[in-house]
Amino acid sequence: MIEKPQYNFVNRVEDTYPFDQITLDNTIRFINPLLPSEEFPHMMNTLQISLAALALVSALAVLNPARYFFNGNSVISPNTLARASSPSVNPASISPLDSGDVSMKDDRIARISSTIRIIPDFPKPGIMFQDITTMLLDPVAFKDTIDLFVERYKNKDISVVAGIVTIRGVHQTAQTAKPPAPHRTTPYNAIWNICGVEARGFIFGPPIALRIGAKFVPMRKPNRLPGAVISEEYSLEYGTDIMEMHVGAVQAGERTLVVDDLIATGGTLVAAINLLERVGAEIVECACVIELPDLKGRDRLGDKPLFVLISSN
Amino acid sequence: MSAGENGDPDGRINGIKSALRVIPNFPKPGIMFQDITTLLLDPKAFKDTIDLFVEHYKHESISVIAGIEARGFIFGPSIALAIGAKFVPLRKPKKLPGEVISEKYILEYGSDCLEMHVGAVKSGDRALVVDDLIATGGTICAAINLLERAGAEVVGCASVIEVPDLKGRERLKSHGKELYVLVESQFEPTTQ
Repeated sequence: MIEKPQYNFVNRVEDTYPFDQITLDNTIRFINPLLPSEEFPHMMNTLQISLAALALVSALAVLNPARYFFNGNSVISPNTLARASSPSVNPASISPLDSGDVSMKDDRIARISSTIRIIPDFPKPGIMFQDITTMLLDPVAFKDTIDLFVERYKNKDISVVAGIVTIRGVHQTAQTAKPPAPHRTTPYNAIWNICGVEARGFIFGPPIALRIGAKFVPMRKPNRLPGAVISEEYSLEYGTDIMEMHVGAVQAGERTLVVDDLIATGGTLVAAINLLERVGAEIVECACVIELPDLKGRDRLGDKPLFVLISSN
Repeated sequence: MSAGENGDPDGRINGIKSALRVIPNFPKPGIMFQDITTLLLDPKAFKDTIDLFVEHYKHESISVIAGIEARGFIFGPSIALAIGAKFVPLRKPKKLPGEVISEKYILEYGSDCLEMHVGAVKSGDRALVVDDLIATGGTICAAINLLERAGAEVVGCASVIEVPDLKGRERLKSHGKELYVLVESQFEPTTQ
Protein backbone atom coordinates (compact mmCIF):
# COMPACT_ATOMS: atom_id res chain seq x y z
CA MET A 1 0.00 0.00 0.00
CA ILE A 2 1.58 3.26 -1.06
CA GLU A 3 1.18 6.08 1.30
CA LYS A 4 0.05 9.08 -0.75
CA PRO A 5 1.02 12.42 0.75
CA GLN A 6 -1.61 15.14 0.70
CA TYR A 7 0.85 17.91 0.03
CA ASN A 8 4.14 17.24 -1.55
CA PHE A 9 6.56 20.10 -1.46
CA VAL A 10 9.82 18.19 -1.63
CA ASN A 11 11.77 17.75 -4.79
CA ARG A 12 13.41 14.42 -4.41
CA VAL A 13 12.12 11.50 -6.34
CA GLU A 14 12.64 9.34 -3.23
CA ASP A 15 10.13 11.46 -1.36
CA THR A 16 7.58 11.22 -4.09
CA TYR A 17 7.70 7.53 -4.69
CA PRO A 18 8.45 4.88 -2.05
CA PHE A 19 11.94 3.53 -2.48
CA ASP A 20 10.88 0.21 -3.85
CA GLN A 21 8.73 1.95 -6.49
CA ILE A 22 11.39 4.14 -7.95
CA THR A 23 11.61 2.96 -11.51
CA LEU A 24 12.94 4.52 -14.64
CA ASP A 25 9.39 5.25 -15.66
CA ASN A 26 8.56 7.00 -12.38
CA THR A 27 11.77 8.98 -12.53
CA ILE A 28 10.96 10.18 -16.02
CA ARG A 29 7.52 11.20 -14.83
CA PHE A 30 9.07 13.01 -11.89
CA ILE A 31 11.39 14.99 -14.12
CA ASN A 32 8.61 15.78 -16.57
CA PRO A 33 5.63 16.45 -14.37
CA LEU A 34 3.35 16.99 -17.33
CA LEU A 35 3.21 13.27 -17.99
CA PRO A 36 0.13 11.69 -16.41
CA SER A 37 0.82 9.24 -13.64
CA GLU A 38 -1.35 6.43 -12.32
CA GLU A 39 -0.63 7.07 -8.68
CA PHE A 40 -0.67 10.80 -8.80
CA PRO A 41 -2.83 11.83 -11.73
CA HIS A 42 -3.74 15.24 -10.35
CA MET A 43 -1.14 15.97 -7.72
CA MET A 44 1.35 18.73 -8.25
CA ASN A 45 4.77 18.48 -6.81
CA THR A 46 7.26 21.25 -6.33
CA LEU A 47 8.68 20.94 -9.80
CA GLN A 48 5.26 21.22 -11.36
CA ILE A 49 4.44 24.22 -9.20
CA SER A 50 7.74 25.87 -10.11
CA LEU A 51 7.24 25.28 -13.81
CA ALA A 52 3.70 26.61 -13.65
CA ALA A 53 4.88 29.70 -11.79
CA LEU A 54 7.68 30.24 -14.29
CA ALA A 55 5.22 29.92 -17.19
CA LEU A 56 2.90 32.45 -15.60
CA VAL A 57 5.66 34.95 -14.94
CA SER A 58 6.96 34.54 -18.50
CA ALA A 59 3.50 35.12 -19.92
CA LEU A 60 3.08 38.26 -17.85
CA ALA A 61 6.52 39.46 -18.83
CA VAL A 62 5.76 39.00 -22.51
CA LEU A 63 2.49 40.85 -22.25
CA ASN A 64 3.76 43.63 -20.01
CA PRO A 65 7.39 44.15 -20.87
CA ALA A 66 7.53 47.65 -19.47
CA ARG A 67 6.59 46.31 -16.10
CA TYR A 68 9.11 43.50 -16.01
CA PHE A 69 11.87 44.81 -18.23
CA PHE A 70 11.99 48.52 -17.78
CA ASN A 71 13.24 50.42 -20.75
CA GLY A 72 13.27 54.14 -20.27
CA ASN A 73 12.25 54.82 -23.85
CA SER A 74 9.43 52.36 -24.32
CA VAL A 75 5.74 52.99 -23.91
CA ILE A 76 3.56 50.83 -21.69
CA SER A 77 2.03 47.89 -23.50
CA PRO A 78 -1.72 47.62 -23.62
CA ASN A 79 -3.53 45.58 -21.03
CA THR A 80 -4.72 42.89 -23.37
CA LEU A 81 -5.62 40.37 -20.68
CA ALA A 82 -8.81 42.25 -19.94
CA ARG A 83 -9.77 42.19 -23.59
CA ALA A 84 -8.87 38.63 -24.46
CA SER A 85 -12.18 37.50 -25.86
CA SER A 86 -13.44 36.53 -29.28
CA PRO A 87 -13.16 37.90 -31.85
CA SER A 88 -9.48 37.55 -31.18
CA VAL A 89 -7.58 40.52 -29.92
CA ASN A 90 -3.83 40.43 -30.03
CA PRO A 91 -1.51 42.72 -28.16
CA ALA A 92 -0.09 45.44 -30.32
CA SER A 93 3.46 46.33 -29.52
CA ILE A 94 3.96 50.01 -29.10
CA SER A 95 6.56 52.11 -30.78
CA PRO A 96 7.76 55.11 -28.82
CA LEU A 97 6.73 58.54 -30.03
CA ASP A 98 9.71 60.28 -31.45
CA SER A 99 8.94 63.66 -29.99
CA GLY A 100 6.74 65.33 -27.49
CA ASP A 101 5.76 64.37 -24.00
CA VAL A 102 5.97 60.59 -24.04
CA SER A 103 5.04 60.02 -20.41
CA MET A 104 1.75 61.89 -20.73
CA LYS A 105 0.88 60.09 -23.93
CA ASP A 106 1.64 56.59 -22.59
CA ASP A 107 -1.71 56.06 -20.98
CA ARG A 108 -3.60 57.40 -23.96
CA ILE A 109 -1.80 55.18 -26.44
CA ALA A 110 -2.32 52.14 -24.24
CA ARG A 111 -6.03 52.81 -24.17
CA ILE A 112 -6.20 53.49 -27.91
CA SER A 113 -4.30 50.32 -28.69
CA SER A 114 -6.51 48.23 -26.46
CA THR A 115 -9.58 49.35 -28.38
CA ILE A 116 -8.30 48.18 -31.76
CA ARG A 117 -9.31 44.65 -32.62
CA ILE A 118 -7.74 42.21 -35.01
CA ILE A 119 -9.86 40.16 -37.38
CA PRO A 120 -7.94 37.21 -38.83
CA ASP A 121 -8.23 36.23 -42.49
CA PHE A 122 -9.88 39.45 -43.64
CA PRO A 123 -10.28 40.47 -46.43
CA LYS A 124 -8.52 37.29 -47.46
CA PRO A 125 -6.84 34.32 -45.75
CA GLY A 126 -3.56 35.09 -44.06
CA ILE A 127 -4.23 38.79 -43.44
CA MET A 128 -4.65 39.93 -39.81
CA PHE A 129 -6.92 42.95 -40.29
CA GLN A 130 -6.50 45.84 -37.86
CA ASP A 131 -10.03 47.08 -37.22
CA ILE A 132 -10.25 50.66 -35.94
CA THR A 133 -14.06 50.71 -35.79
CA THR A 134 -13.97 49.42 -32.22
CA MET A 135 -11.85 52.43 -31.29
CA LEU A 136 -14.59 54.69 -32.68
CA LEU A 137 -16.98 53.10 -30.18
CA ASP A 138 -14.87 54.48 -27.32
CA PRO A 139 -15.29 58.26 -27.37
CA VAL A 140 -12.32 58.80 -25.04
CA ALA A 141 -9.99 56.69 -27.19
CA PHE A 142 -11.19 58.37 -30.39
CA LYS A 143 -10.76 61.81 -28.88
CA ASP A 144 -7.29 60.88 -27.61
CA THR A 145 -6.32 59.72 -31.09
CA ILE A 146 -7.30 63.04 -32.62
CA ASP A 147 -5.68 64.96 -29.75
CA LEU A 148 -2.37 63.19 -30.30
CA PHE A 149 -2.30 64.23 -33.94
CA VAL A 150 -3.52 67.77 -33.19
CA GLU A 151 -0.85 68.25 -30.54
CA ARG A 152 1.79 67.33 -33.06
CA TYR A 153 0.54 69.50 -35.91
CA LYS A 154 -1.24 72.45 -34.40
CA ASN A 155 0.82 75.55 -34.83
CA LYS A 156 0.68 77.30 -31.56
CA ASP A 157 1.15 80.66 -33.23
CA ILE A 158 -2.19 80.49 -35.03
CA SER A 159 -4.60 82.64 -33.08
CA VAL A 160 -7.82 80.86 -32.32
CA VAL A 161 -10.63 83.22 -31.39
CA ALA A 162 -13.78 81.41 -30.31
CA GLY A 163 -12.73 78.49 -32.45
CA ILE A 164 -12.42 80.57 -35.62
CA VAL A 165 -9.00 80.13 -37.07
CA THR A 166 -7.39 82.98 -38.94
CA ILE A 167 -6.71 81.06 -42.11
CA ARG A 168 -9.23 82.83 -44.22
CA GLY A 169 -9.40 85.80 -46.46
CA VAL A 170 -11.58 86.40 -49.50
CA HIS A 171 -14.73 84.33 -49.21
CA GLN A 172 -14.99 82.09 -52.22
CA THR A 173 -18.17 81.57 -54.20
CA ALA A 174 -19.45 78.16 -55.13
CA GLN A 175 -18.20 78.46 -58.68
CA THR A 176 -14.65 77.47 -58.09
CA ALA A 177 -12.77 74.89 -56.10
CA LYS A 178 -10.16 77.44 -55.06
CA PRO A 179 -9.70 77.76 -51.31
CA PRO A 180 -9.81 81.06 -49.44
CA ALA A 181 -6.59 83.07 -49.68
CA PRO A 182 -4.40 82.75 -46.61
CA HIS A 183 -4.43 85.40 -43.95
CA ARG A 184 -1.23 87.38 -43.92
CA THR A 185 -0.27 86.77 -40.33
CA THR A 186 -0.44 82.98 -40.56
CA PRO A 187 3.00 81.61 -39.82
CA TYR A 188 4.80 80.08 -42.75
CA ASN A 189 5.07 76.70 -41.10
CA ALA A 190 1.34 76.16 -40.54
CA ILE A 191 -0.33 73.13 -42.11
CA TRP A 192 -2.73 74.18 -44.90
CA ASN A 193 -4.17 70.87 -46.00
CA ILE A 194 -5.06 67.51 -44.56
CA CYS A 195 -5.51 64.93 -47.30
CA GLY A 196 -7.49 61.88 -46.29
CA VAL A 197 -7.61 58.69 -48.30
CA GLU A 198 -11.04 57.13 -48.85
CA ALA A 199 -12.68 55.85 -46.76
CA ARG A 200 -11.09 55.44 -43.32
CA GLY A 201 -8.92 58.50 -43.90
CA PHE A 202 -12.25 60.39 -43.98
CA ILE A 203 -12.83 59.42 -40.36
CA PHE A 204 -9.56 60.80 -38.95
CA GLY A 205 -8.63 63.58 -41.36
CA PRO A 206 -11.57 65.99 -40.95
CA PRO A 207 -11.50 66.18 -37.13
CA ILE A 208 -7.78 66.99 -37.27
CA ALA A 209 -8.35 69.55 -40.01
CA LEU A 210 -11.14 71.23 -38.04
CA ARG A 211 -8.97 71.49 -34.94
CA ILE A 212 -5.92 72.95 -36.68
CA GLY A 213 -7.82 75.14 -39.13
CA ALA A 214 -6.67 73.34 -42.26
CA LYS A 215 -8.59 72.42 -45.37
CA PHE A 216 -9.67 68.80 -45.74
CA VAL A 217 -9.08 67.29 -49.17
CA PRO A 218 -10.56 63.86 -49.88
CA MET A 219 -8.62 61.46 -52.10
CA ARG A 220 -10.99 59.03 -53.70
CA LYS A 221 -11.46 55.98 -55.86
CA PRO A 222 -12.15 56.79 -59.50
CA ASN A 223 -15.38 58.43 -60.66
CA ARG A 224 -16.47 59.49 -57.18
CA LEU A 225 -15.30 63.11 -57.23
CA PRO A 226 -17.38 65.36 -59.48
CA GLY A 227 -15.79 67.94 -61.71
CA ALA A 228 -12.17 68.20 -62.81
CA VAL A 229 -9.78 65.73 -61.15
CA ILE A 230 -6.24 64.49 -61.51
CA SER A 231 -5.67 60.73 -61.34
CA GLU A 232 -2.79 58.56 -60.20
CA GLU A 233 -2.54 54.89 -61.01
CA TYR A 234 -0.83 52.71 -58.42
CA SER A 235 0.02 49.04 -58.01
CA LEU A 236 -1.76 46.53 -55.85
CA GLU A 237 -0.59 43.04 -55.06
CA TYR A 238 -2.53 41.91 -58.13
CA GLY A 239 -3.34 44.59 -60.65
CA THR A 240 -3.67 48.34 -60.21
CA ASP A 241 -6.01 50.91 -58.77
CA ILE A 242 -6.57 54.61 -59.29
CA MET A 243 -6.67 57.48 -56.81
CA GLU A 244 -8.14 60.90 -57.66
CA MET A 245 -8.00 64.41 -56.24
CA HIS A 246 -9.83 67.56 -57.23
CA VAL A 247 -8.04 70.05 -59.43
CA GLY A 248 -7.59 73.25 -57.45
CA ALA A 249 -8.09 71.75 -54.01
CA VAL A 250 -4.41 72.04 -53.13
CA GLN A 251 -2.23 74.90 -54.35
CA ALA A 252 1.47 74.78 -55.12
CA GLY A 253 3.64 75.35 -52.08
CA GLU A 254 0.93 74.58 -49.54
CA ARG A 255 2.12 72.53 -46.58
CA THR A 256 0.12 69.31 -46.53
CA LEU A 257 -0.36 66.20 -44.39
CA VAL A 258 -1.61 62.86 -45.67
CA VAL A 259 -3.76 60.95 -43.17
CA ASP A 260 -4.96 57.35 -43.19
CA ASP A 261 -5.94 54.83 -40.54
CA LEU A 262 -3.11 52.41 -41.34
CA ILE A 263 0.06 52.08 -43.41
CA ALA A 264 0.91 48.60 -44.67
CA THR A 265 3.03 48.39 -47.84
CA GLY A 266 2.69 52.13 -48.34
CA GLY A 267 1.28 51.85 -51.88
CA THR A 268 -1.77 53.98 -51.15
CA LEU A 269 0.22 56.69 -49.40
CA VAL A 270 2.76 56.79 -52.22
CA ALA A 271 -0.08 57.36 -54.70
CA ALA A 272 -1.37 60.22 -52.53
CA ILE A 273 2.13 61.71 -52.30
CA ASN A 274 2.50 61.53 -56.07
CA LEU A 275 -0.80 63.33 -56.64
CA LEU A 276 0.21 66.08 -54.25
CA GLU A 277 3.68 66.49 -55.72
CA ARG A 278 2.17 66.79 -59.19
CA VAL A 279 0.35 69.91 -58.05
CA GLY A 280 3.43 71.24 -56.28
CA ALA A 281 2.31 70.77 -52.70
CA GLU A 282 4.85 70.49 -49.92
CA ILE A 283 4.25 67.23 -48.08
CA VAL A 284 5.18 67.76 -44.46
CA GLU A 285 4.41 64.29 -43.14
CA CYS A 286 2.25 61.20 -43.46
CA ALA A 287 0.23 60.40 -40.35
CA CYS A 288 -1.43 57.07 -39.51
CA VAL A 289 -2.95 55.53 -36.44
CA ILE A 290 -1.29 52.14 -37.09
CA GLU A 291 1.88 51.00 -38.86
CA LEU A 292 2.65 47.42 -39.88
CA PRO A 293 6.44 47.72 -39.84
CA ASP A 294 7.06 44.24 -41.29
CA LEU A 295 5.56 45.44 -44.58
CA LYS A 296 8.17 48.21 -44.82
CA GLY A 297 5.77 50.95 -45.87
CA ARG A 298 7.92 53.54 -44.13
CA ASP A 299 10.81 52.80 -46.49
CA ARG A 300 8.61 53.27 -49.55
CA LEU A 301 7.80 56.81 -48.49
CA GLY A 302 11.37 57.80 -49.26
CA ASP A 303 12.16 61.20 -47.84
CA LYS A 304 8.65 61.78 -46.53
CA PRO A 305 8.47 61.39 -42.76
CA LEU A 306 5.91 59.07 -41.19
CA PHE A 307 4.27 59.56 -37.81
CA VAL A 308 2.23 56.76 -36.24
CA LEU A 309 0.65 56.19 -32.87
CA ILE A 310 0.85 52.40 -32.84
CA SER A 311 3.27 49.96 -34.42
CA SER A 312 1.82 46.48 -34.78
CA ASN A 313 3.85 43.35 -35.43
CA MET B 1 -36.72 71.26 -40.01
CA SER B 2 -34.03 73.19 -41.74
CA ALA B 3 -31.48 75.32 -39.97
CA GLY B 4 -32.52 78.39 -41.90
CA GLU B 5 -36.07 78.39 -40.55
CA ASN B 6 -35.20 80.79 -37.76
CA GLY B 7 -33.25 83.05 -40.04
CA ASP B 8 -29.50 83.24 -40.31
CA PRO B 9 -28.47 85.90 -37.82
CA ASP B 10 -24.77 85.18 -37.87
CA GLY B 11 -24.54 84.37 -41.57
CA ARG B 12 -23.25 80.88 -40.95
CA ILE B 13 -25.80 79.19 -43.18
CA ASN B 14 -25.17 81.66 -45.95
CA GLY B 15 -21.48 80.95 -45.66
CA ILE B 16 -22.10 77.22 -45.88
CA LYS B 17 -24.47 77.56 -48.83
CA SER B 18 -22.05 79.67 -50.79
CA ALA B 19 -19.23 77.19 -50.16
CA LEU B 20 -21.14 74.37 -51.89
CA ARG B 21 -21.04 73.87 -55.62
CA VAL B 22 -23.26 72.12 -58.13
CA ILE B 23 -21.81 70.02 -60.94
CA PRO B 24 -24.29 69.29 -63.72
CA ASN B 25 -24.62 65.90 -65.35
CA PHE B 26 -22.69 63.97 -62.71
CA PRO B 27 -22.57 61.00 -62.27
CA LYS B 28 -24.90 60.77 -65.25
CA PRO B 29 -26.76 63.18 -67.55
CA GLY B 30 -29.61 65.05 -65.97
CA ILE B 31 -28.31 64.89 -62.41
CA MET B 32 -27.25 68.14 -60.72
CA PHE B 33 -24.63 66.87 -58.28
CA GLN B 34 -24.34 68.75 -54.99
CA ASP B 35 -20.63 68.81 -54.19
CA ILE B 36 -19.66 69.30 -50.54
CA THR B 37 -15.90 69.05 -51.13
CA THR B 38 -15.65 72.81 -51.65
CA LEU B 39 -17.19 73.25 -48.21
CA LEU B 40 -14.29 71.27 -46.78
CA LEU B 41 -11.85 73.75 -48.35
CA ASP B 42 -13.30 76.54 -46.21
CA PRO B 43 -12.28 75.80 -42.61
CA LYS B 44 -14.72 78.33 -41.14
CA ALA B 45 -17.68 77.06 -43.15
CA PHE B 46 -16.80 73.44 -42.35
CA LYS B 47 -16.55 74.26 -38.66
CA ASP B 48 -19.88 76.11 -38.80
CA THR B 49 -21.47 73.03 -40.38
CA ILE B 50 -20.37 70.83 -37.51
CA ASP B 51 -21.30 73.47 -34.92
CA LEU B 52 -24.84 73.76 -36.27
CA PHE B 53 -25.38 70.00 -36.02
CA VAL B 54 -23.87 69.89 -32.54
CA GLU B 55 -26.00 72.80 -31.31
CA HIS B 56 -29.15 71.11 -32.59
CA TYR B 57 -28.48 67.72 -31.04
CA LYS B 58 -26.28 68.19 -28.00
CA HIS B 59 -29.18 68.07 -25.53
CA GLU B 60 -30.81 65.02 -27.09
CA SER B 61 -28.69 62.48 -25.16
CA ILE B 62 -27.41 60.95 -28.34
CA SER B 63 -25.08 58.01 -27.76
CA VAL B 64 -24.45 56.95 -31.36
CA ILE B 65 -23.72 58.84 -34.55
CA ALA B 66 -24.14 56.53 -37.55
CA GLY B 67 -22.40 57.83 -40.67
CA ILE B 68 -23.15 56.50 -44.14
CA GLU B 69 -20.17 55.65 -46.33
CA ALA B 70 -18.33 57.61 -47.53
CA ARG B 71 -19.35 61.27 -47.22
CA GLY B 72 -21.16 60.60 -43.96
CA PHE B 73 -17.70 59.72 -42.61
CA ILE B 74 -16.58 63.30 -43.24
CA PHE B 75 -19.23 64.88 -41.01
CA GLY B 76 -20.25 62.18 -38.53
CA PRO B 77 -17.05 61.65 -36.53
CA SER B 78 -16.60 65.35 -35.73
CA ILE B 79 -20.16 65.54 -34.44
CA ALA B 80 -19.58 62.39 -32.40
CA LEU B 81 -16.38 63.80 -30.89
CA ALA B 82 -18.12 67.05 -29.97
CA ILE B 83 -21.02 65.42 -28.16
CA GLY B 84 -19.13 62.44 -26.73
CA ALA B 85 -21.00 59.81 -28.73
CA LYS B 86 -19.80 56.65 -30.43
CA PHE B 87 -19.27 56.80 -34.18
CA VAL B 88 -20.54 53.83 -36.16
CA PRO B 89 -19.70 53.56 -39.88
CA LEU B 90 -22.40 52.12 -42.13
CA ARG B 91 -20.71 50.64 -45.15
CA LYS B 92 -21.15 49.01 -48.53
CA PRO B 93 -20.95 45.21 -48.50
CA LYS B 94 -17.72 43.41 -47.59
CA LYS B 95 -15.90 46.48 -46.27
CA LEU B 96 -16.44 45.89 -42.57
CA PRO B 97 -14.41 43.03 -41.09
CA GLY B 98 -15.95 40.58 -38.69
CA GLU B 99 -19.62 39.98 -38.03
CA VAL B 100 -22.11 42.34 -39.68
CA ILE B 101 -25.83 42.74 -40.24
CA SER B 102 -27.01 43.75 -43.72
CA GLU B 103 -29.94 45.74 -45.03
CA LYS B 104 -30.88 45.63 -48.68
CA TYR B 105 -32.56 48.62 -50.24
CA ILE B 106 -34.00 49.54 -53.61
CA LEU B 107 -32.37 51.96 -56.02
CA GLU B 108 -33.87 53.50 -59.12
CA TYR B 109 -32.48 50.54 -61.04
CA GLY B 110 -31.63 47.48 -59.00
CA SER B 111 -30.72 47.34 -55.34
CA ASP B 112 -27.85 48.02 -52.96
CA CYS B 113 -26.87 46.93 -49.49
CA LEU B 114 -25.73 48.66 -46.30
CA GLU B 115 -23.91 46.89 -43.46
CA MET B 116 -23.22 47.56 -39.79
CA HIS B 117 -21.07 45.74 -37.25
CA VAL B 118 -22.83 43.38 -34.86
CA GLY B 119 -22.44 44.79 -31.38
CA ALA B 120 -21.71 48.35 -32.44
CA VAL B 121 -25.05 49.56 -31.12
CA LYS B 122 -27.25 48.00 -28.51
CA SER B 123 -30.69 48.35 -27.07
CA GLY B 124 -30.95 51.66 -25.25
CA ASP B 125 -28.65 53.55 -27.61
CA ARG B 126 -30.08 56.77 -29.03
CA ALA B 127 -28.82 57.17 -32.58
CA LEU B 128 -28.52 59.96 -35.13
CA VAL B 129 -28.01 59.11 -38.81
CA VAL B 130 -25.68 61.48 -40.66
CA ASP B 131 -24.98 61.85 -44.37
CA ASP B 132 -23.94 64.71 -46.63
CA LEU B 133 -27.20 64.76 -48.59
CA ILE B 134 -30.69 63.29 -48.57
CA ALA B 135 -32.39 62.72 -51.92
CA THR B 136 -35.10 60.03 -52.06
CA GLY B 137 -34.23 58.87 -48.55
CA GLY B 138 -33.65 55.25 -49.60
CA THR B 139 -30.15 55.01 -48.14
CA ILE B 140 -31.08 56.77 -44.93
CA CYS B 141 -34.09 54.49 -44.47
CA ALA B 142 -31.81 51.47 -44.85
CA ALA B 143 -29.59 52.99 -42.16
CA ILE B 144 -32.58 53.50 -39.85
CA ASN B 145 -33.61 49.87 -40.35
CA LEU B 146 -30.14 48.60 -39.47
CA LEU B 147 -30.02 50.64 -36.27
CA GLU B 148 -33.54 49.64 -35.21
CA ARG B 149 -32.87 45.97 -35.90
CA ALA B 150 -29.91 46.22 -33.53
CA GLY B 151 -32.20 47.67 -30.87
CA ALA B 152 -31.23 51.33 -31.03
CA GLU B 153 -33.73 54.17 -30.99
CA VAL B 154 -33.21 56.45 -34.00
CA VAL B 155 -33.72 59.97 -32.70
CA GLY B 156 -33.37 61.71 -36.05
CA CYS B 157 -31.51 62.14 -39.31
CA ALA B 158 -29.22 64.98 -40.24
CA SER B 159 -27.69 66.02 -43.53
CA VAL B 160 -26.02 69.10 -44.89
CA ILE B 161 -28.21 69.24 -48.01
CA GLU B 162 -31.75 68.24 -48.87
CA VAL B 163 -33.17 67.85 -52.38
CA PRO B 164 -36.82 68.64 -51.58
CA ASP B 165 -38.30 67.51 -54.89
CA LEU B 166 -37.15 63.94 -54.24
CA LYS B 167 -39.37 63.78 -51.14
CA GLY B 168 -36.89 62.23 -48.77
CA ARG B 169 -38.32 64.22 -45.88
CA GLU B 170 -41.79 62.83 -46.47
CA ARG B 171 -40.44 59.32 -46.62
CA LEU B 172 -38.74 59.76 -43.26
CA LYS B 173 -41.85 61.32 -41.79
CA SER B 174 -43.83 58.25 -42.78
CA HIS B 175 -41.37 56.29 -40.62
CA GLY B 176 -41.84 58.78 -37.82
CA LYS B 177 -38.37 60.22 -38.12
CA GLU B 178 -37.36 63.87 -37.99
CA LEU B 179 -34.95 65.33 -40.54
CA TYR B 180 -32.62 68.25 -39.83
CA VAL B 181 -30.83 69.89 -42.75
CA LEU B 182 -28.74 72.99 -43.13
CA VAL B 183 -29.30 73.82 -46.77
CA GLU B 184 -31.87 73.09 -49.45
CA SER B 185 -30.24 72.25 -52.74
CA GLN B 186 -29.47 74.87 -55.27
CA PHE B 187 -30.31 74.09 -58.86
CA GLU B 188 -28.26 76.68 -60.70
CA PRO B 189 -25.37 74.94 -62.38
CA THR B 190 -21.98 76.38 -61.60
CA THR B 191 -19.11 76.55 -64.06
CA GLN B 192 -15.61 75.59 -62.99
